[in-house]
Amino acid sequence: MPDNQRLVKERLGELRLLPGREDEILRELAEHLEDHASALVARGVVSEEAACEALNSVSDWPELRREIVLAETEETTMNYRTKVLWLPAFCTFTLSMLLLALLQITGFRPRFYWLDRGLFIPFYVPWLLALPIIGAVAAFWLQRAGGRVSHRVFVSLAPPIIWLGIMLIMLLLALVIDRHVPFSFKLEGLLTYTVAWVLAPSLALFLGAVPFLRKRQPQA
Amino acid sequence: MIGIDAKIKRGSGELAILALLEQEPLHGYEISKRIAQVTGGVLQFNLASLYPLLYRMEKRGWVKGKWEEAKSGRKRRLYHLTRAGKKQLAPLRAEWGSFFQALDRIAGVAHAG
Repeated sequence: MPDNQRLVKERLGELRLLPGREDEILRELAEHLEDHASALVARGVVSEEAACEALNSVSDWPELRREIVLAETEETTMNYRTKVLWLPAFCTFTLSMLLLALLQITGFRPRFYWLDRGLFIPFYVPWLLALPIIGAVAAFWLQRAGGRVSHRVFVSLAPPIIWLGIMLIMLLLALVIDRHVPFSFKLEGLLTYTVAWVLAPSLALFLGAVPFLRKRQPQA
Repeated sequence: MIGIDAKIKRGSGELAILALLEQEPLHGYEISKRIAQVTGGVLQFNLASLYPLLYRMEKRGWVKGKWEEAKSGRKRRLYHLTRAGKKQLAPLRAEWGSFFQALDRIAGVAHAG
């Protein structure tokens, strides 16, 4: 008998479902094909032909793949997204903030990189050094949960993404409220904030996430 | 053999599967075979049409699949009707009953053929 599970997998492609579930589906579909072929053999069809006919009973494998993915995710789109996106992103953000608060409480002060005209960029060096661990944990979590590579990147970079959002809101408010402050000064402040709270943490988190951004190898 | 539109087939398929599983737990291939036998081939579900439907019903909690050893000794994923599925069966029966009564009133389908 042919290896139906392998044949189904070749035709369906990656379903990108939670680990274990994909294998279960492939196995179940393979069992169905085997039953179908056995029924044909019982009716007198030659074994090879029966296997081929059973496999050809599915005329549109990409459509079947789409239907299965829809069935598996549409009813629980929110749950799935919560599981592989929003909850891990929230946890990554909270963890990074708790770590920063802890460092501040224990007396760590930022290193200031002074620029012209009284502007400075604050760097919490121990915090930045610890961020790769948080990035790694986040990406590993998503990898285990079956999250896509894009999800892993998003969740790992959740803290700077949120800070970027906060920064843009603050800039908009500053434009409206602090009209007496020159725009160029606001822009410079924005740029220093971007370096300190977005670019540097992004780099640190991403470095930690890199080992977990490779696609999962399909299970045999 | 009468061809049945895909949407009607899907809706009626849910009722057919729930009704079959009310009698006993079955695996996917057996479900498709029974549906074809009982309906004289009017309703037919192949692999492509059956499993997305079963997975959707499982997500809704109407059925529950479990790997169990069949008489042949092979492990098969048997679908069991859940409590939620049982509750769903009565309204589905009523809904489809009303639908056919309505069609009968407007087009006399019950007497057609």
